[in-house]
Amino acid sequence: MALLNIVLVLFLIMDPVGSLRSYLSMVDQISSSRRSWIILREMFIALAVMLGFNYLGEYIFGFLSLSETTLHLSAGVILFLIAIKILFTASDSPRSNLPPGEPFVFPLAIPLITGPALMATIMLYAHLEPYQSIMITAIFIAWFISMLIFLFAEPIKKILGKNGLLAAERLIGMVLVLIAVQRFLEGILLFWSTQPHAQ
Amino acid sequence: MSVIQLAIIFFIVTNPIGNSPTIIALIKNYTIKEQQRILFREAIFSMLLAIFFLFLGETFLKCLKIENYGLTTSGGILLFLVALKMIFSNEREERASSSQVDPFIVPIATPLLSGAGLLTMIMLYAKQEGSDLKILFAILLAWVGITLVLVTAPYLQIFFGKRGLAALEQLMGMLLAMIAMEMIVQGSSLFISALQLQS
Repeated sequence: MALLNIVLVLFLIMDPVGSLRSYLSMVDQISSSRRSWIILREMFIALAVMLGFNYLGEYIFGFLSLSETTLHLSAGVILFLIAIKILFTASDSPRSNLPPGEPFVFPLAIPLITGPALMATIMLYAHLEPYQSIMITAIFIAWFISMLIFLFAEPIKKILGKNGLLAAERLIGMVLVLIAVQRFLEGILLFWSTQPHAQ
Repeated sequence: MSVIQLAIIFFIVTNPIGNSPTIIALIKNYTIKEQQRILFREAIFSMLLAIFFLFLGETFLKCLKIENYGLTTSGGILLFLVALKMIFSNEREERASSSQVDPFIVPIATPLLSGAGLLTMIMLYAKQEGSDLKILFAILLAWVGITLVLVTAPYLQIFFGKRGLAALEQLMGMLLAMIAMEMIVQGSSLFISALQLQS
């Protein structure tokens, strides 16, 4: 897999643009210098989790004796359900019931930036990608772009407007559904090819 | 093929006339003025999406490793979820959600208008004709007609009345579920041929 593919998929699943609205409503009462500090802290927590999953993924893989098919299917299903929540905003979704006040680990670092879908995807890619260096670089690039987006949340909101943000959120949700379905179907392909009758 | 022929094909595939009862049923809680505003916006969005796919569709899908079957299947799944919501919508829930944002991009602009069928068709014709400009003109021409049909569609409401619309929602939900299933079936058959190719 090329570096660009991994960066793009990871960035889309982190979905910083889609989280902007929740983030801005969360930090409404907090001064802007404090906000940058919060973002830096949360982003570094998120990065630590991502890198942790990147390295530990293989051990978890072996420990639970999972197969690659399982990883494909579960990553697909989790991502699909999360994307559906983005597209059809429900009143019981974690996005609309965020606890007010300063975020610490929950809900900004986990699950808005590093959600379960991202963890599963990183595990999958770390397994598929033979070169760890590419994986680490991809995580860093995607992470860095996300951090820039969170740091410039206010100007981005001003440029896109409220509806523009919503449109971006929906479009990314749509793309996430595409990725999720593709991943799930790939899992089925893989399952099929590992069955004895296929040979 | 001439520009006019292409435009007519795009118009037929987008099917604004057949889709307008469904769309009206989806946004029945708004006044006619608001509906026209929403539909005009959705028409523009679907056109932008079509143009985006004309120029960047292939690169985009390749970057995310999304195959044809994934695109079609996810469109079908999304539409099916919308149809389920239409059929099993109860009054109480609707009143609670009426304060929420209006249908934005999903489901009207995509996958109803610019669905997977249209988008793959645009990419196919762009490859066949070898001239993006011609397809672009055809898209613009088709969308003049589509926008006109959509903007006049809210007047159907006067014809049907409030009770008629509520009944229409159920019927159209059923039809939409069928359209969705059709897409899923098509996606599945594409998927199965990919499966056979692999083994």
